[in-house]
Amino acid sequence: MDNFSSQIGLYLQGTLVTLSIFAITLIISLPLGFIVTLMLNSKNKLISSFADAVVYVIRGTPLLLQLLFVYFGFPLIPVIGKYLTFSRFVSACIAFAINYACYFGEIFRGGLLSIDKGQWEASKVLGLTRFETLTKVIIPQMIRVCLPSISNETITLVKDTALVSIIGVAEILHYSEAAVNREGTPLPFLVAAAVYLIINFFVTVVFKRLEKNYEQ
Amino acid sequence: MKKLLLFFTVLVMGIFLFTACGGTSDSGETTANPDNDDQTFVIGVDDQFPPLGYRDESGEIVGFDIDLAKIAAEKLGMDLRVQQIDWAAKELELEQGNIDAIWNGLTITPEREEVMLFTDPYLENEQVVVVPKDSEIKTVSDLALKKVGLQSGSSAEDALTGNPISDQVQEIVTYDDNVAALQDLSIGRTDAVVVDLVVANWYIKENNSDYVVLEEALAPEKYGVAVAKDNTELQEKLNAVLDEIKSDGSGEEASIQWFGSNILYSES
Repeated sequence: MDNFSSQIGLYLQGTLVTLSIFAITLIISLPLGFIVTLMLNSKNKLISSFADAVVYVIRGTPLLLQLLFVYFGFPLIPVIGKYLTFSRFVSACIAFAINYACYFGEIFRGGLLSIDKGQWEASKVLGLTRFETLTKVIIPQMIRVCLPSISNETITLVKDTALVSIIGVAEILHYSEAAVNREGTPLPFLVAAAVYLIINFFVTVVFKRLEKNYEQ
Repeated sequence: MKKLLLFFTVLVMGIFLFTACGGTSDSGETTANPDNDDQTFVIGVDDQFPPLGYRDESGEIVGFDIDLAKIAAEKLGMDLRVQQIDWAAKELELEQGNIDAIWNGLTITPEREEVMLFTDPYLENEQVVVVPKDSEIKTVSDLALKKVGLQSGSSAEDALTGNPISDQVQEIVTYDDNVAALQDLSIGRTDAVVVDLVVANWYIKENNSDYVVLEEALAPEKYGVAVAKDNTELQEKLNAVLDEIKSDGSGEEASIQWFGSNILYSES
């Protein structure tokens, strides 16, 4: 650890990978999660039961297993397998985005449930269209209800990125492990701990601010 | 149906977005695997295995095996890429062609020969017992009623369980990697560690530890390079290349640089 400064580049490299997986997952899975909610609530039985099944499978199996499945399992699917062969990093992002979309979908569904049906009727009386009701009345309230759960899930996401080294993507924890093995001291683990804490500090601050914005 | 369509559109768009920033630029080769192509010799390593393959302070994977693989790739006329893999998934990586070879202090064992194809051995190694300098353990038989640490799934495990003393030890403690086992020895949770000789020597030198290696070894063994079970073509090519490396002095040079002496394996 005495030559820590010469290793900053190494830890930065790992932090960058951790942050990219985190950011890409969040950017894809939040909108995708909303689509999952719409599908779960769909009046079309086919769509809603399809969404139910997907959410059941994704929430019912470990994310680690899903990572292995996307990277090692997808290419083995007959016929379409060759179009589903992705690089390590892309596979990691796909598995994370799908997994988190399902959790976010359930969180949004909970948010929608908390809103009184009377608001739809009231909006109708006021002459708002279905779309206007959704975007101007329902969704803002839903977000307020959902924010604490989303914040919780986002913090979990930061830590879950540590799983990707199973398919050979080196992130911060993996680099620390490498340093532990090279130097024979467990101290580099503290660097990884610090990185996760710093990222989650910012996540916490951002969500606190968002919650304040949505308070009435 | 519209929503379903939207779902898939977003999914496909997302996938394209990923691929665009994935950074694995296939140079127009008609290959199904984005992590490997014909021009690249991809070796899989567990990058936690000094001094054979590990990450240096700049994050680069280096080591004796990496140096040998570099020479081999040059002789094959291919570009070398060193890919870090999870050791538990090494057979899958090889079988699916994500990597061309496992080159990482891989001990040739009969069980492994059933699932992969080995080249001729290139390095000699032994499984040895490491103890603190002041330990009362002087021979393998002194391990009776002691706690012994080792890496799980390693050939150290096979070496110990294959020795009659394994019935007499108090407990076998397994770790994810060798260094963790060696560290726990210094804390005192175990009395001895069974590990590859090359790793033991490197660890003791690097950390100036107060450890000694027992003269009596558990099992002699050989390291080889593994390729996929059906890839006899690459196996033959690598055998030819390894012969060259052993005879033209390039291997000897690397061995002296990493181990201080020539420990390359030769048939004679």
